[in-house]
Amino acid sequence: MTHRIASNPIHWPQWVAALAIIAMVLAFTPRWAPAQEIIANSGLPKTAITRNEARLFFSMKLGIWPNGAPVQVYVLPDDHPLHREFCTRVLGLYPYQLRRVWDRQVFSGTGQSPVTISSEAELIERTAASPGAVSYAAKPPDNPGVRVLPVK
Amino acid sequence: MTQATAPCCDANPDPRTLRGCCIGLSVATCLLFSGATTAADSFWSTIQLHGFAAQSVIKTSDNRFFGDSPDTSFDSTEIGVNASVRLDPKVLVAGQVLARRAGDMYDGTPSLDYALTDIALIASPERILGIRLGRVKNPLGLYNETRDVPFTRPGIFLPQVIYYDKVRNIVLSSDGAAVYGSLYNDLGEFSVTLVGGWPVLDDNVQWTYLGGDFPGTLRPNGSVWTGSLWYATVTEQLRFGLSGALASLRYAPHQNDILGPGQTDIVYGIASLQYSARRFTLSAEYGLEPVRWRRYGPLLPRQKVTSEGYYLQGTYRIRSNLELMACYEEGVADSDDRDGSEFAGVTGGLVPAHAMFSKIATVGLRWDPTPNLMLRAQYQWNQGTLVLSQLENPDFPRQREYWTLLALQVAFRF
Repeated sequence: MTHRIASNPIHWPQWVAALAIIAMVLAFTPRWAPAQEIIANSGLPKTAITRNEARLFFSMKLGIWPNGAPVQVYVLPDDHPLHREFCTRVLGLYPYQLRRVWDRQVFSGTGQSPVTISSEAELIERTAASPGAVSYAAKPPDNPGVRVLPVK
Repeated sequence: MTQATAPCCDANPDPRTLRGCCIGLSVATCLLFSGATTAADSFWSTIQLHGFAAQSVIKTSDNRFFGDSPDTSFDSTEIGVNASVRLDPKVLVAGQVLARRAGDMYDGTPSLDYALTDIALIASPERILGIRLGRVKNPLGLYNETRDVPFTRPGIFLPQVIYYDKVRNIVLSSDGAAVYGSLYNDLGEFSVTLVGGWPVLDDNVQWTYLGGDFPGTLRPNGSVWTGSLWYATVTEQLRFGLSGALASLRYAPHQNDILGPGQTDIVYGIASLQYSARRFTLSAEYGLEPVRWRRYGPLLPRQKVTSEGYYLQGTYRIRSNLELMACYEEGVADSDDRDGSEFAGVTGGLVPAHAMFSKIATVGLRWDPTPNLMLRAQYQWNQGTLVLSQLENPDFPRQREYWTLLALQVAFRF
C-alpha cells in the first residue's frame, strides 16, 4: 500500500475526498423512508399541531380537538414500515410503547384504541371521510378532504 | 402471619359483583339518555369490542402452582371481553367481563372486572382532569390495572413478590370513584390517580391474612383507598411511579369461633421504575406491605409484620415480534425475619423457614406470529415457597424449598 500510494501521490487524496463526500451524503440524507406528514380531515379549523398534541392524540389520551370536536385516530398496523417511521420520527415513541399505552387503556376501561387500517391509501380516504379524523401519510396527499398539519 | 395452616375451605358467593354492575350500569344508562340526543350520529361508530383468551400449561418439579403442576397442570385459563363507547368526546363508558381459572384459587366463574363511566372535566394538551365512577381498577404498580391480560404482562406470570396471585382481590379493583389528572409540559408528564371504594374479599384473602379458612367472615372495614403518582419523560423513555393502598378488614366471628372480632390493617406501597429503549425495556419495582392484626384473641396475638419484595426485569426485542425476558425477584413475609428461621422456631418447625421467603430467577421467550396471536415459554428456578397459595399447598411438610417451573402459554386477542 505504502508503495502504491507513494507511486501515485496524486490519486489517493481523490479517493479519500470521494469517500468523504459519499459518507457525508449518506450521513445527511434522510434514510430511505419517505418524509411523514400528520394529516387531518380538512373540515377541522386547525392549521398546525404541536408534538405534544400529536403524542396525546395518537396515544389516545386526548380525544377532543380544541374546538370540541371528537378526535378520530386512524393508524396502520404496528409492523407497517410507515407506522414505525412515523412513531419514531414524528412522535418520538417506539411502536411498542404506543401499543402498551393503548392496551393499558383498552383493558382497564380508561380509553380506546385507534382504528387500524391496512393500507396508506385507505388511511387517507378514511381521514378525508371522517370529521375530526387525524392520521399520517408518507407525503402530502393529493386529496382535498385532508390537510397536512405541520408539526410546530 | 401471611402463612396459613388450616386444612379446608368452602366458597362464598361474591356479593360485590352485583353491586359494581349496578353502579356501572346505572351511571351508563343515565349518560346514555343524556348523551344520545347530542351525539347520536357518532355514537355507534365509537363502539369498540376487544377481548382475549389464553391457556397455559404448567409443570413444576415440586409444589402445586395453578393446579396439579407436578403432574402438568392445564388449570390456567384467562378469558376476557370488553366493550366501550364514547357517548361524547369527554364521556367514555366501558366494561369488561373476566373468566379466570387458576388452579384451586379461581374456578373460571365469569366476574365483572370493571364497569365504569369516565368523564373528562378538563381535556387540553396541557392538562387532563377527570373522574371515573363504578367499578374501577386500582392503579398499583406498572401492571395491576391490566394484570389479567396476558398481552400486557412481561411474562406468563407477573413477578409474584409484587403481584401475588394467591391474594389478588383486595387490590384488584374498587367499587367507588376515581379522580385522575395529568399535566404535560417540556419536562414530561405528571399524573395522579386517587381511588376510593369497596374491595371484594374471597377465601384467598382469608387464607392469606388469617392463616386459614375460619368459620366467621372477613369484611372490608370501611373503604379502601388506592392512589398513584407517575412521572414520565416526554417520550416515555423513563417512567417513575409511587403507588399505594390502604385497607382495613374486620372479622365477624361465627358462634364458638376460636378467633375474636379482630381487625387487620393493611398498607401496601410500591415504587416503580421503567426504562424503554428501542430494543430493550428494563423494569424494577419494590413493594412494602406492613400488616397489623388486632383483637383476634390469643390464637392470633396483636402483631405487626412487614412483607417486602422487589424484582428486576429486562426484556430484549430481537425482532418486533420476538422478545427475550429475564427476571430476578425476592420476597420476604417478615422483613425482620428474612430467612424465616425465627418463625420456624416459634412454630416449632410446623412452618418451615423456607415458607417465609421466595427467591425466583426467570427466563422467558415471547413470539407473536401475528398481531392477534402470542406464544410464550418461561422457565423459573425457585428457592422458598412464599409465593405459593396455601389453598393449593395446605400441607407445609410437603412443600419443597427448591423447585423449578416450566410454563407454556398461547394467547389470542381481538
